[in-house]
Amino acid sequence: MSLEDMVFLPVVLPLLGAALALCAKVFLTGRASRILEYTGVFIGLGLPWLFFVYITPMMYAGQAVSGVIGAWHTGVGIMYRFDGLAYLVNILGFSVAAAAWVYALGAGPKGPSFSSVFLIQTASLAAAIMTADLFNLFVCLEVLGIASYVLIASSDKPGAALASFSYLMVSATAMVFFLLGLYGLYRLTGVLSYEGIASALNQLPDAGGPVALVSLSLIVAAVAMRVAVMPLYGWLPDAHALAPHAISAVLSGVLIKTPLFALSRVLMLMPAGASAGQLMGYAGAVTALAAVVIALSQKDAKRLLAYHSISQIGYIVSAWGAAIQVGTTTGAGVVLMAAAFMHAFYHALFKGLLFLSIGTTVDRAGERNVYVLRGAGRILRAHGERFPVTLICFLIGALSISAIPPLNGYASKAAISYALKGTPHYYLLFAASIGTVASFIKLSRIFWPTPKGSAAVLDDVPAAIPWPIHLSQIFLGLLCVIGGLAAPALFAFVLRLISAGGADVAISLKFYSSGTMIKTLIITASGVLLFLGAITPKGSALLKRVRERRRDFEGLFVSFALGTAALAGWLLL
Amino acid sequence: MIERILILLLFLVGFSGILARKNIIKKIFGLTLINSAAVLLFVVEGSRVGSQAPIMEQGISQVVDPIPQALMLTAIVIGVCVTALALALAFRLYQAAGSFDIDEIRRRVHDES
Repeated sequence: MSLEDMVFLPVVLPLLGAALALCAKVFLTGRASRILEYTGVFIGLGLPWLFFVYITPMMYAGQAVSGVIGAWHTGVGIMYRFDGLAYLVNILGFSVAAAAWVYALGAGPKGPSFSSVFLIQTASLAAAIMTADLFNLFVCLEVLGIASYVLIASSDKPGAALASFSYLMVSATAMVFFLLGLYGLYRLTGVLSYEGIASALNQLPDAGGPVALVSLSLIVAAVAMRVAVMPLYGWLPDAHALAPHAISAVLSGVLIKTPLFALSRVLMLMPAGASAGQLMGYAGAVTALAAVVIALSQKDAKRLLAYHSISQIGYIVSAWGAAIQVGTTTGAGVVLMAAAFMHAFYHALFKGLLFLSIGTTVDRAGERNVYVLRGAGRILRAHGERFPVTLICFLIGALSISAIPPLNGYASKAAISYALKGTPHYYLLFAASIGTVASFIKLSRIFWPTPKGSAAVLDDVPAAIPWPIHLSQIFLGLLCVIGGLAAPALFAFVLRLISAGGADVAISLKFYSSGTMIKTLIITASGVLLFLGAITPKGSALLKRVRERRRDFEGLFVSFALGTAALAGWLLL
Repeated sequence: MIERILILLLFLVGFSGILARKNIIKKIFGLTLINSAAVLLFVVEGSRVGSQAPIMEQGISQVVDPIPQALMLTAIVIGVCVTALALALAFRLYQAAGSFDIDEIRRRVHDES
């Protein structure tokens, strides 16, 4: 098997697994069906790791595999490119997907049809990040979308179908606008591959003029909607809060980041990509701060986490946008892009962990309101958890997202603030970190012990927590700790992969210096103060107004139109 | 030119359906309409360079650009999948809320949760 064929394994193996799982549902029952389904999942989520291990040295040496699918000639066939970025995003996707699938084994949804859709989603993630053809990107994003609508609606909560429907409508509409943007670029250039479009545009007078800019902004806005950058975030809180916990972990951890990194390939080549990246960077920094304020006001535990996903994706987008702006061929751009990926990866780990551990807790407690639920530790103990695994996992996740050393969130936020030092983004992100600390103090109140006797009374001996739940939580928790401790080495690895093994980028980043420690102390102390301010009557009245602001279906489309118009205006002026 | 204006009208009808209609079935029809408008736009674009179907047999010349047609076949398939899924979700919403009105559904869902 040649290397050109092997790079398709992360796409083909999950699809094969999905087919096996579907066969297990249709043709077999009982034990045989389960065996075939698990085989399919192992093929889909396990075997690609062999390929990743095998290809690591080549990626480290800066090699990239690219070509045309099916050996068609370049004008007609679909171009692909498997490079360091694709490798890294695949690692991110497959590690969280494996943990989430194991969790679903214990907490549901389970069964061959779930596994099958889940594997299709994983395959489309891998395909989206390695394609270099604009229409193929459209197809990958649509398959990704369809799989995630199904998975969100697989929850039996009444709101889940509505959340899925709203997401479907706004996302499918955005994808039609993506097609219109694609039409504009095809009309100008007559090709579909990223490189072909970029070089044809560069030869046109004025790089294609307004038509090219409007087309590009339609494409960027449609992808930005999947990424949930403000103002295009409206669909996310409901969808992520109401999906089954395992799906929430994958949605937040992987699904909102893959389109972003796939988009970076387009923007890095386009003539107007740099200024589009610049605007995205500003939008990201504002998103980080605005979403954390809304998160602080939430009362539903999972909705609070969902708003934090928007806020953290804001961190990633601001570093990512700045990287596109200066170009990833420069040293500064490489550091920014590596910092953005580090935070994307670590956020996937700790947010996955938070969704899983909070999911376990609220399921056992039967209560999701953070103002009502107290003494969750005791409830978990009543469910046979002698050693408080879930509590510890929650703490690891919460401390990570609040950037407390030596956990991974601290390391990646240190990398982002190092890379963004001296820009306006830096101050917005600094303020957002304070809000993050405050809202996680608020969330961790669900574990505050209650006076004896007033805890929820459990009338019968409840079922023990199944082992897959613990296994997946421990797996992600360990990765969070290791990710934090090994951050310097990992950051150097990511830098090398992003710069395609090129000249070593000089960085003077010390992860554990006294300066960053003092900064952490300041942020944590301000976070505590902000939390104390938020629970005063005035503070809670203000937050209540933020929480109960008007949100409706039409607002999703209005914000999409406004976002697209803003981007087009920015590029044209 | 006239065909492009008609496509624009079709698109606007669909888009207003998504935005202004309260009935979710009509919203889904709106989505189908804007999708069809995009498909037609591509096919019209492909016909700028020729007039005959791109089936290479003897005596066939002046074919249309085949790439937009190939792309749109894929887009139509995806559109059908999305419509089918949206209708399935609409059915579930109707079962849960007893109505196709988006505001009514939202109200019911909020009452229950």
